[in-house]
Amino acid sequence: MRDDGILSPESARVLNFLGLLAMVGVLVGAYIYEFSYRELPCTLCQLQRLAMVAVAFGAAMNVMLGPSPRHYGVCLVSAVFGGAISVRQTLLHINPYFDTASGQPALEATTNPPFGEAVMGLHLYVWGVVLFSTVILAVGVVQLFRSQFVGAPQEPDRLARLAATAVGLLFVVAALETLTTFLECGFADCPNDGGWNWWILR
Amino acid sequence: MMTVSFALLAVASLLLWRRVQWAWTLVVAALVLGIVIFVRDVDFATNLGIQL
Repeated sequence: MRDDGILSPESARVLNFLGLLAMVGVLVGAYIYEFSYRELPCTLCQLQRLAMVAVAFGAAMNVMLGPSPRHYGVCLVSAVFGGAISVRQTLLHINPYFDTASGQPALEATTNPPFGEAVMGLHLYVWGVVLFSTVILAVGVVQLFRSQFVGAPQEPDRLARLAATAVGLLFVVAALETLTTFLECGFADCPNDGGWNWWILR
Repeated sequence: MMTVSFALLAVASLLLWRRVQWAWTLVVAALVLGIVIFVRDVDFATNLGIQL
């Protein structure tokens, strides 16, 4: 394989670490939003968070085990999944023939209120479209540089601490999501009514 | 089911911490569960039947 020499495996791992930090930052931001507005995430919102954690997992694999097309594949598949969810939710609030209050299609045009409060002018599911599109574009561009796939993938180096931090962050976020999802939904389907309706308090 | 999906991701992260190579298969399982939840939530039969 010809080495194009632009992106070394180490640089790719640092880039992936930054990407992982960005995803964790978005998830922490979602928690701040949730507790600030006392607005529990709906089913589609939870699925977008699931996709974000999965995207971060692909990046964490690149940091921990070295860059690999398989790890980028995990990022891409997760981002496509998350993108489909966020586009679906955005369309629900654009489509006048869907009543979001009842969750059923409407035969007459209706006014669809958006779900939750807007952040910097956009609602979270629209930010989801922007985020997942950016991930797909970024992963596609980064994969153009083949030099990152050359060399031993698990060499002990100064990045080992970075890798441990990355996976540690990911575990904390995933465990926190598991806990809050359990408190919100239990093991049943999550409610779509918004508000501060914890399963554990019902 | 959503709780189980997130739990799978948390376990996958722990396995990745131990450098277990197949940890990503748990992520795929979580995504498959997510797709099942999504399809149930959309209720394609009702939605498409009326909207189209």
